[in-house]
Amino acid sequence: MRGWSMQHDMADSPLNWADRQRDAQHYLDSRGWPDRRDEAWKFTSLRHLADKDFTVGSPGADITTAPAGTPAPGLDGLVIGINAGIFNADNLPSLPKGVTVRDISNDDRARAELFIQPSGGHLLTALSAVRQTSALVIEIADGVQLDQPLILHFTGGEETVSSYPFIALQIGAGGWAAIAEIHQSSAGLSCPLLAIDIGDQAQLDHIRIQDEARHTTHLGLNHIRIGEQAVVNSFALSCGGCLSRLETHSLFDGTKGDLAQSAIYLGHNSQHHDITSFVAHESANCTSRQLIRGVLDDKARGVFQGKVRVAPDAQKTDGQQMSRALLLSSDAEADAKPELEIFADDVVCSHGATIGELDDSQLFYLCSRGLTVEQAREMLIEAFLLDALGEIARPDFAACLTEAVSRWTAALYNRQVTAAGE
Amino acid sequence: MTLLEIKNLHARIGDTEILHGIDLTINRGEVHAIMGPNGSGKSTLSYVLSGRDGYEVTEGDILLDGKSVLEMEADERARAGMFLAFQYPVELPGVSGMAFLRAAVNARRREVGEDEVDHLEFVKLVRAQADQLGIGSEMLKRAVNVGFSGGEKKRYEILQMALLKPALSILDETDSGLDVDALKIVSDGVNAQRGGSCGMLVITHYQRLLSHIVPDFVHILAQGRIVKSGDKQLALEVEENGYAGLVDAA
Repeated sequence: MRGWSMQHDMADSPLNWADRQRDAQHYLDSRGWPDRRDEAWKFTSLRHLADKDFTVGSPGADITTAPAGTPAPGLDGLVIGINAGIFNADNLPSLPKGVTVRDISNDDRARAELFIQPSGGHLLTALSAVRQTSALVIEIADGVQLDQPLILHFTGGEETVSSYPFIALQIGAGGWAAIAEIHQSSAGLSCPLLAIDIGDQAQLDHIRIQDEARHTTHLGLNHIRIGEQAVVNSFALSCGGCLSRLETHSLFDGTKGDLAQSAIYLGHNSQHHDITSFVAHESANCTSRQLIRGVLDDKARGVFQGKVRVAPDAQKTDGQQMSRALLLSSDAEADAKPELEIFADDVVCSHGATIGELDDSQLFYLCSRGLTVEQAREMLIEAFLLDALGEIARPDFAACLTEAVSRWTAALYNRQVTAAGE
Repeated sequence: MTLLEIKNLHARIGDTEILHGIDLTINRGEVHAIMGPNGSGKSTLSYVLSGRDGYEVTEGDILLDGKSVLEMEADERARAGMFLAFQYPVELPGVSGMAFLRAAVNARRREVGEDEVDHLEFVKLVRAQADQLGIGSEMLKRAVNVGFSGGEKKRYEILQMALLKPALSILDETDSGLDVDALKIVSDGVNAQRGGSCGMLVITHYQRLLSHIVPDFVHILAQGRIVKSGDKQLALEVEENGYAGLVDAA
């Protein structure tokens, strides 16, 4: 991703799919896996992938039944299952009027049309073009408002398998949808690519939970185009996998758009979580608001890279970004790289990043009231995460994420009790 | 009956010894005041008693109900019945006041073998106590101490004390930052809890608090030692003559 120059090629690009794949292969061959010398990956090296020889997930290789049960407690919706990177239309639930799901895995013309990539290319779009395991389009027609969330449930795979599903999600003008991405696969490498297009005056409520198996490297890229007066409320939680990067590119492609995009990452053992975000204010009068919270224990590492670019014409932009990391162990590490690039003169933008530990005086205050040090820590960690969780608009999404966060903090507490008892 | 016994207590922070041998006994039902100039070790004493990390006892002992608390962590001492009303109560952004109060009360209840209090009953209990301290429901909904004025923070400390019903309450400069009206509300709250089987240690720089919370005994702390003890008259003498004469004697 050379220098974050992120004018995306949109659907009017003349390239066909074979050309796309050839260019992508060239990109991969000439660069290899990025490491710290690559500015966009300086905190998240992928060198460990160079030694791996993954089998690309393919139909028949590991496609069992549809994922059973609810992907997340308290979350009820229409489940679209992606198993080992493969979408199987046979398992599709009956869809409400105005919603269509199309498998375009064998439709090169559609694949080429819907493909997105930043100018100069990008590792994750190149991987997707060359190795795509499945491609589907989810369309929500103009003016259709969905009550029930659509749940994209990514499962399956094993340590030797890699998966590259591509999903184009299109919400027509005035439409309203809620999408939950639940990543619970056990592939060795999981690389989902989502191209989300939100029409004028449409709204998307979105959560993205990365809860992959402990051996999984998760490299997910979402591209969100936000139409005029469209509203996006998006929240990501990264807690699984051994190494993960949740990258998001958001583009305001019409005036008066509104984006709330928050994230929490929770790391323990030697987990590595990377939240990378690029918000392109290309249109006037748009608002973006990002709250990032990270908690890191043991030798875990957290990365937040956030860039906000305000184009010359994007006057009256309001862009806010704040990241805070909490280190619970002296071996944990957090890196933050917030960037503002402003070419308009009438804007309000701010960013900030802090990295710290639990406050001794707060812990003592709680303990002096009879709470054990573990209870006190749990209470302070939850409180630290709470203001980010407060950004989630939908109650079912909020409940689902709060539950996931509480489960993690409770597990942390249990680990401490076990460690103390040893 | 003896509640707290401090015997030849020496304590230090880092390499600096702050307390140089304190002896003090508090019986159940008694209110003791400790007065002293700045830097005499008053706040150190309160932290050493309540078990704050970084305050090391090098000699002597602290007995609560005849049992040494030196090996106990701060939370264990609290559950055993010790309570510190902070000079500067700590803000806990994001921590719900009610959840905090309930966790504290249940920790103490479990310790003394009582059932945990259920949510509805607890809300009633808190409301009743809060009313007496002039704490409105709006304040109870906020995060712990966040956005509270100095006076509100002190009232919130006394609310916690009323809910926890500690055997020993240590009030560290509870009067600091209070105007006359707030001082009266806080003192009334404390006086409502005195007597019976509990004891209090009121730490203050000024006499004015002691005209509201009238102590049974007054001790003057200077340079890490108690240099003089007496009854409430002693506080008035300090008010009249200052600490100078007493400190010089130390």
